[in-house]
Amino acid sequence: MSESNKFIFKKYDLDASINRRTAIITIAKAGLFTILASRLAYLQIVDKDKYKILSDNNRITHRLLEPQRGIIYDLQGKPLAINRERYEVVIIREETSDYIQSIENLKNILPDIQIDTEKLYSKINKTKKFIPIKVLDDLSWDQFSMLNANIHKVDGIYPQIGFKRYYTSGPSHSHIIGYTAPLDKKEKDTNTLADLSSAKSGKLGIEKSKDFNLRGKLGNKNIEVNANGREIRELDRYESTRGENIQLTIDSELQDYCYKSLNDQSGCVAVTNIKTGEFYALVSSPSYDPNLFSKNISLEKWNSLTDNIYKPLINKAISSQYPPGSTIKPFVALAALENGVSEKREVYCNGKHEIKDTSLESGVKTFHCWKEEGHGKVNMNEALKVSCDVYFYQISREIGINKIAEVCKRFGFGQNVFKSFYEEKKGIVPSKNWKLESIGTPWMVGETLSAGIGQGYFLTTSAQLSHALGQLINGGEKINPTIVLNKKKDSQKKQKISLNPQHLAIIKKGLEDATNTQGGTSYRSRISGNLKMAGKTGTSQVRVISSQEREEGLKKNNELPWDKRDHGLFIGYGPTNNPQYAVSVIVEHGGSGSGAAAPVASKIFKYLFDNNLNLKSKSISNV
Amino acid sequence: MFSHSNIEATISDKLKSINYFLLFLICTIFFIGILALYSISDGNFSEWPIRHVQRFILGLIIFFIVALLDLKIIFRFAYPIFIVSIVALMLLPLVGDEINGAKRWISFAGFSLQPSEFVKYTLILALAKYFHSMEDYHDNFFSKLIIPTFIVIIPVTFVVIQPDLGTALVIFLGGVSVIWISGLNYKYFISGILVFILSLPILWQYLKGYQKERVFTFFNPERDPLGNGYHITQSKIALGSGGIFGKGYMEGTQSHLNFLPEMQTDFIFTMFGEEFGFIGSIVLILLYMALISISIRMALTSKSLFSKFLSLGVCSVFFIYVFVNIGMVTGILPVVGVPLPFISYGGSSMLAVMFGFGLLTNCYVNYNTTLTKSSFI
Repeated sequence: MSESNKFIFKKYDLDASINRRTAIITIAKAGLFTILASRLAYLQIVDKDKYKILSDNNRITHRLLEPQRGIIYDLQGKPLAINRERYEVVIIREETSDYIQSIENLKNILPDIQIDTEKLYSKINKTKKFIPIKVLDDLSWDQFSMLNANIHKVDGIYPQIGFKRYYTSGPSHSHIIGYTAPLDKKEKDTNTLADLSSAKSGKLGIEKSKDFNLRGKLGNKNIEVNANGREIRELDRYESTRGENIQLTIDSELQDYCYKSLNDQSGCVAVTNIKTGEFYALVSSPSYDPNLFSKNISLEKWNSLTDNIYKPLINKAISSQYPPGSTIKPFVALAALENGVSEKREVYCNGKHEIKDTSLESGVKTFHCWKEEGHGKVNMNEALKVSCDVYFYQISREIGINKIAEVCKRFGFGQNVFKSFYEEKKGIVPSKNWKLESIGTPWMVGETLSAGIGQGYFLTTSAQLSHALGQLINGGEKINPTIVLNKKKDSQKKQKISLNPQHLAIIKKGLEDATNTQGGTSYRSRISGNLKMAGKTGTSQVRVISSQEREEGLKKNNELPWDKRDHGLFIGYGPTNNPQYAVSVIVEHGGSGSGAAAPVASKIFKYLFDNNLNLKSKSISNV
Repeated sequence: MFSHSNIEATISDKLKSINYFLLFLICTIFFIGILALYSISDGNFSEWPIRHVQRFILGLIIFFIVALLDLKIIFRFAYPIFIVSIVALMLLPLVGDEINGAKRWISFAGFSLQPSEFVKYTLILALAKYFHSMEDYHDNFFSKLIIPTFIVIIPVTFVVIQPDLGTALVIFLGGVSVIWISGLNYKYFISGILVFILSLPILWQYLKGYQKERVFTFFNPERDPLGNGYHITQSKIALGSGGIFGKGYMEGTQSHLNFLPEMQTDFIFTMFGEEFGFIGSIVLILLYMALISISIRMALTSKSLFSKFLSLGVCSVFFIYVFVNIGMVTGILPVVGVPLPFISYGGSSMLAVMFGFGLLTNCYVNYNTTLTKSSFI
């Protein structure tokens, strides 16, 4: 056989083999398809009734388990925000024979409840038939047990137990703790609880800023349900994970005491530990019932809160910005000392300070001291003690606005105090660049004078004031302002803020004299005994006083409408021999710092001194 | 020596000789896929169905490009294409996107592709070229068994470690089908099956926990009705409760109640069977059978060995897809992630299957072309 013949023979052989093997594989494929068809016939014809029953009557379904929100404790381990059981009722349309009838029956069982049937029916019609829709929320235990006893009368309606937030400590804590409410539209995509129909998230305060830690993780369970969707048995369960518990640095009793000390006046208080930066109290007044938002709040109630001129919904301690007034003077004095002004330098105060202003007819702009007749000769100590405006006009003019701004920023003005309070405002420290950038006009000399007494563009918050004073009085140690207790005390070396101890001593002496020597602005509010407070009053104007009004004689604050009166401010520290706390008090339109704010601060310091030992935190166990 | 008649064949000649009945069947099955995806989306066209259409159009473009290429080019580049696909598989652990704990996807110019889907076909290409160019057809052991097995084992290994047992199985069986057609002696197949059975206890050690669970569950789905048996149990309930005529289009309660996750991919047949019943399921299976038998008939017309092996391999891979998927959702095979061609939502498998039918059609169009033996790349 020739080579080519052999090749042809082989090729022929191969083709036959391929055809044979393809035939076998094709038969195998047909056989396997027959198996599939038989299997389908078995499932869909022979066993169809069995599976129909399984499908209709015995479904395995999946329910989400709501996690419990973490508990918020105060410094002493007292629970401030806890969870209570909430009794709600849902309806699943496909599990009712007639949902309108079911709702009517529900109304008969619970005659004293209100259901907006129109709204509910339209929601039921718009929602997929197997999704549970909330009919009633927050039933009383009596109503809930009544419904459970009559549950056979309402098909497709299910009582459920969930959780609701309950705040134990009343209006004094409302702002700092905040509240929770159903998720916003935006959160529906991002929140890890969004699949849960009753999901809520923190909207303000700690509830918001620590929402991620507090919320926990969803669990789920698989249950077998019958034709009516009623749970027959639970098959398995993956428990939800409780949210993290959080302990605050806020001392609940002190917080309450501060709130009461404001005596329903509109204002705020901040109490700082000057060694650690922890806030022991952060109070805003007036306030509202913190449990108001656990239920659906009525429009009427809501409007009464938003229209209230005392703005009870706003956390004034961090969100309201005020001109610091004379409370800025210790920082201005420091700026003067650092820029070559001697403490012995004397300024003569005749009640006013004039600068050239060609835009005015007289060619002169007059800046007045709060004391019309003037203080006479004053040095720095005297100026701090009596809060002489003319002295501060003079030295501010000499050192210029940028030096003042630098010192104020160094101690924390113009910056957020906390890291994660979205409602916090950061205030304004004016400077030449700031004005050019945000207003667009150049700085004027007169504005330096206003800034030197904490007026004009200057804005700050209560939290900022006590924090800044704390960092000054502790000798320039940078502290970490917080209201959440840091369990791991950081052993890092503390950062220092540039501060000359001699300068600090001069400022402290001025503040101590202002409170504890006769003639000082807060002398009337001094604390007798071994432990004393020291501090600076501030009265900040909220209106421009025209020269005409000045000539006719200044109106007394109590003759003015409330919202035209001056704000009263006070910042102080104590005890003077070993400072521990810094306190700031702002009484909105309180008239004056010495009259409205210093007495409140005095009460708070007295409380702090009396209860000193109680401010040692008790740690909670995070279960 | 060689026929040159095909060299002058123009594009339009080639277009004329495409089997349009094959394309019609493909489009019919694809249309059923659109119906099913539309139902799963609860009547929403904008998410899954529209993307499915886009992918199908892209698939058609690939189909025509591959079908109209010169067969000689495909023959010449069979090995390089195979090697490129293997390299893509090897790169996965380094550059792959991890989804559900497995690195199967590779992102490329805004697309996310699964190289393992394409390897099913590139392996067939490589084997077809190998057997075409083989010198000694009587050497059963080395030429027909050892070398081809080695070619098959390389991609299978890389897919197993992804880990993606289902796709590895399809690739392996696809490769074995070509070896079978090449005429390897029966005794090797029989001993191969014996060796496999005997080595099961050893292979068992290498399976991951969830893979072992799936095997357990396969033999006894009720053992774990909510974990691994959940899919099988729910799928059977859905199919069975569909009965002979089905619950009606878009009326499938089990499917629409979200009892089965990922309904749009591997379990789409379940929903179809629930809504269209036994009759619908059988019609769909008959469509697949028709498609496969036409393909086999087309494959056998080819003159060159390369074309035959390639086309028959493509038929086998397609059959394995369909059989494993339907077998899995009806509970006669373990749950391994294999999509239902033209119906399951998934870009890579759609493009790969169209690539495969493009190859098949190319062989059919060029049935008369003869190719030289070439063992070079």
